[in-house]
Amino acid sequence: MRRLLALAALALLLTACAAPAEQPVERQFLAMDTAMTFCVYGGENAAAEAEAEIRRLEGLLSRTAADSAVSRLNERSGQQVETGGELWRLLEAAAGYSDAAGGAFDVTIAPVMDAWGFTEETRQVPSPDLLAERLGQVGMERVRLAEDGVSVRLDPGTEVDLGGIAKGYAADCLRTIFREAGSPRGWVSLGGNVLAWGTRPDGDPWRVGVQDPRYPEQQRFVGALGLEDAFAVTSGGYQRYFEQNGVTYHHILDPATGFPAESGLVSVTVVAPAGEDAPARTPGNGAMCDAFSTALFVMGEERALEFWRNGGYDFQMVLVTADGRVVSTSGLEGIFTPEGESGYAYETVS
Amino acid sequence: MKLTTKELTTCALLTALALALSYLENLFPLAAAIPLPGVKLGLANVVTLFALYALGPGQALLILTGRCLLGAVFAGNMNALIFSLLGGLSAMGAMIPLSRRRRLSVYGVSIGGAAAHSCGQVAAAVLTLGSRAPVGYLPVLLGVSLLTGTVTGLLAACLFRALGHTSLR
Amino acid sequence: MPMRRSPELRPTVWDGLVVLAVVLLAGGCLLAMSRAAGRASGGLTAVVTVDGREVDRFAPEELLEAPRIYENNGYTLEVRAGEAVSTPGGQPAGGARGIRVAHADCPTQDCVRTGTITRGGQSAVCLPARIIIRLEGGGTGGGPDIVIG
Repeated sequence: MRRLLALAALALLLTACAAPAEQPVERQFLAMDTAMTFCVYGGENAAAEAEAEIRRLEGLLSRTAADSAVSRLNERSGQQVETGGELWRLLEAAAGYSDAAGGAFDVTIAPVMDAWGFTEETRQVPSPDLLAERLGQVGMERVRLAEDGVSVRLDPGTEVDLGGIAKGYAADCLRTIFREAGSPRGWVSLGGNVLAWGTRPDGDPWRVGVQDPRYPEQQRFVGALGLEDAFAVTSGGYQRYFEQNGVTYHHILDPATGFPAESGLVSVTVVAPAGEDAPARTPGNGAMCDAFSTALFVMGEERALEFWRNGGYDFQMVLVTADGRVVSTSGLEGIFTPEGESGYAYETVS
Repeated sequence: MKLTTKELTTCALLTALALALSYLENLFPLAAAIPLPGVKLGLANVVTLFALYALGPGQALLILTGRCLLGAVFAGNMNALIFSLLGGLSAMGAMIPLSRRRRLSVYGVSIGGAAAHSCGQVAAAVLTLGSRAPVGYLPVLLGVSLLTGTVTGLLAACLFRALGHTSLR
Repeated sequence: MPMRRSPELRPTVWDGLVVLAVVLLAGGCLLAMSRAAGRASGGLTAVVTVDGREVDRFAPEELLEAPRIYENNGYTLEVRAGEAVSTPGGQPAGGARGIRVAHADCPTQDCVRTGTITRGGQSAVCLPARIIIRLEGGGTGGGPDIVIG
C-alpha cells in the first residue's frame, strides 16, 4: 500500500509539475519594418540583449532611418563611403548569394521596389518608362566593395536595400547572443525569419507550421517542420501584395524583369542548420536562408532544385507550387511532416 | 480511553491484521487491472469497518492510527504517513456517522468510507505539493472507490456472517 | 464480547443514496475542472501595444459586447470578436473563438488579412499604425509553436 501511495504521490506530483515548469520570456515588438517575436528560455537578460541587438542592426541597416549606415551609403552613390566592416561583410555575402543564385536575389532592386510602392504605403504598377529607368540601376556589379574591407562605392543612382537579408542576418547575430547568454532553448521569429535553438521544454523539436499559401488568413498549414538549432524562412507572394484593375501584384520582384516573379511557385521555405561555430557579426546560415528563400521563389521549381543539388550550399527546402504540389528535399525527411488533409500532393526529391 | 486486557488484545490483533492485509494487497495489485496510481482495494478498511461495528469508534480509531503509524515506520517512508493518515481519518470521519444510520448497510458505509478515503488522499496531495492540480484526479479516484467500496463491503459482510457464532459477534 | 451494533448485511435502498452522493461529488469535481480548463484555454488575454507601449489588455470575450477601437499614427483599427474558419487540421473549428481586426483604414490591410487569431502567441500586426494585437496564454494546444509564411 505504501508503494501504491508513493506511486499516487508521484503521479500527483507529475500532474502538478506539468503546469508551471520553466517560463520563457516572451516579447513582441516592431522593428526593421516588421514584427519581431521572441520566446526565450533562461539566459539572463538574453531577450533584452537580443532586442537591443535588433535595434542596433536597425540603426545600421535601415533604409528608412536617415542616419543609418545604409542610408548614408545610398545618399552618396557615386562616392566611396566608409561603411564599416559589418555592413561591408553583409554586402559581400549578399553579392555572393546573388552571384550563386544567378542574380535571382539582388539587394540593388530597391529603386524598383520604390517604383512599385512596396516600401511605402501606396502601391501601384509603375509606368514602363520608370521601370526601365530604375532597372538600369539594378545589378550587384554596381556595388563596389573596396579592398580595405570597410569601404563601399555604389554606382550613381544605385541604392541598396538589405530588407531581403537583414532579418536573416539579425537571426545570425541573435544566435550568437543566445548562445553566449546561455539560453538553452527558445525561438525568435523576425518577420518570418525563424531561429529555433534547443528543443521544446518537453524535449520535442520546436514545431514550426508552414503556412498554407492558399489560405493566408487561416491557421492552415502545408506541413510542419520539427526544428532543433535551425534557421527557417518562408517567402511567398501571398504575404504582401496589392490589386490593381483586377490583377494581383505581389512583392517578390524578379530582378531580371522588375515585375513580380511568376515562377509557378507560391511559397518557398528554406531550412538550414544554426551551426555552433559561426563567428560573431558575420553573415551565416540565417542570412543565407533569407536571401535564398527570395532567390528560389524567383527561380521557380526547376532552377531551384538544380540550385539545391549543385549550388554548393547546405540547405533544405519546401516548395509549394501553383499547381497544388508540395515538394520537399530529401534532407527534410523526418523533419518535415505533411499536413494530412491539406489537399496538396506531396513529393520528396533527392 | 480505558481498555480491558481483552479489548487491548483484540485491538492489537486487529491492527496486526490490518497491517498484514495492506501488505497482502500488494500481492494482488488492483493497479494491474486499473492501471492508475493511487488506486487500491483497501483491504485494511475491512478491519476498520469491522472494528467500527464490533468495538466502536474509539477503538476503531486507535486501530487505524496504529496501522498508519506502524505501516509508515515499516515502510520507512514518513512522507506516506500524511497520505495514509489523512485518507484513513477521512474514511473514519465518514464511516462513523454513516454507521449510525440504521437503514444503511455495510455496503453504504464502506463505499462512503472509500470515497472519503480518496478525498483525504487528494487533500494530502494538495497539502504536500502546494498545488491544486491533484484535485483533477479526484473524480477518477471517486469512481474507483465505488468499486473498491463495494468489494470491501462485501468482504466485511462475509466476515460478519462468518463470525456470527463467535464471541466477537 | 458483544457486538456494539449489529450492521445490516444486505445492500439497502439507502446505500444507493451514498453511491449517488459519491457520483454527484465526482461529477461536481469534473464540472469544476472542465470550467477551470475552459478558463485556461479560453484564458487568453489580448494585449494591445501601440508604439511599443501596452495600451490595453482584455479577455477576448469582452469583444462580444462591443468592438474596440485603437488609433495611432493617423490610422484607426477596429478589433472585433471573430470565429476561426478552420483549425490547423483543416477541420471546421466549430466556434474556435478569437479576435480579428475587422476594419482598418491603413493602406496595407495586412492586419485585416491576418484574419482571426485564436491561440496564445498569435498576433495581428499593423505596421503603418504601429499597433500589435497579441494573444497571450492558453498554450499552443497541440498546434505549432511558430508559424512561418
